[in-house]
Amino acid sequence: MYGTVCYYMLHEIAGKITEGCDIMNIQFKKGVLELCALALLAKKNRYGYELVNEISRSISISEGTIYPLLRRLKNDGYVTTYLQESKEGAPRKYYQLTESGKEMERQLKEEWLNFVKQVNSFLKGGAKDE
Amino acid sequence: MNKKQFLEKMSSYLRGIPAEDEKDIISDFKEHFEIGIQEGRTEEELAESLGDPKSLANQLRASLMVEQAEKNTSAANIVRAVFASLGLGFFNLIFVLGPFLVIAGVMVALFAAALGVTSAGITGFFGSFFGPLFPQYFSILVNPAVSIFISIGVICLGVLFFIGDIFLAKWLYRLFVMYIKFNARIITGRGQVK
Repeated sequence: MYGTVCYYMLHEIAGKITEGCDIMNIQFKKGVLELCALALLAKKNRYGYELVNEISRSISISEGTIYPLLRRLKNDGYVTTYLQESKEGAPRKYYQLTESGKEMERQLKEEWLNFVKQVNSFLKGGAKDE
Repeated sequence: MNKKQFLEKMSSYLRGIPAEDEKDIISDFKEHFEIGIQEGRTEEELAESLGDPKSLANQLRASLMVEQAEKNTSAANIVRAVFASLGLGFFNLIFVLGPFLVIAGVMVALFAAALGVTSAGITGFFGSFFGPLFPQYFSILVNPAVSIFISIGVICLGVLFFIGDIFLAKWLYRLFVMYIKFNARIITGRGQVK
């Protein structure tokens, strides 16, 4: 019995390690997700569905993941929410950036642009020490 | 899975979190379904693209519990946060439960040591008084006056040890909360982001 459990655990661990290669990709997408949500909100206040729709149009993710992200942004004080009536019926919950949210958006955007610039310079083969 | 099934699953996996937060989370998803349907998508389609309700609920629960442990320092809150983090994946048996048990064990040992030193001092203190009265039970080799002061010293040492433990425990608590927060951020979304 004990042996079976051990085997199962080892198997599981081995599986997780090979899966590890995906983790970076996932982490990468999640970081990007936060930036996308903040960038979309920097343009105008939006409701949850709208954000999900905009983001999932260009990044393939489980749409539900955006809601935990929005809750976290709210808890960390980057966004606030308010309800607003809609033409179609029930009021919708809108998300709005706070001052610290705007600051965060600027900072993340700058980091991202710098990062992309550096990666691009490698892709173009512009490394000077060759 | 239709809207009703999705929401029911969600709330069953969210059981145990504060009612207000549960209501809030459920209403967010309800709104998502309502708008989606107005835009002409089907309930099944929407549920499918939202992802696994269990995994979403586990993410939400873990971040709520950690947040609570951060706000109110208590043993019960940290234990809840640790258990919620275990829901995030098998890996956390090693990366969260392991360090937690080590830290908790070390703290229990340090408190026990402080208690031991203090009670040794107390015993010595009373022993110094009663020892000379009952020579058939006690044999104290030093002058009782000396052993009284030594005992007082030992009691003080024990109390200082205890106070030190409290500070250490608080510090480790904060450190550990930071760690599980970091862990939750790394691990959530695994299997969620396609």
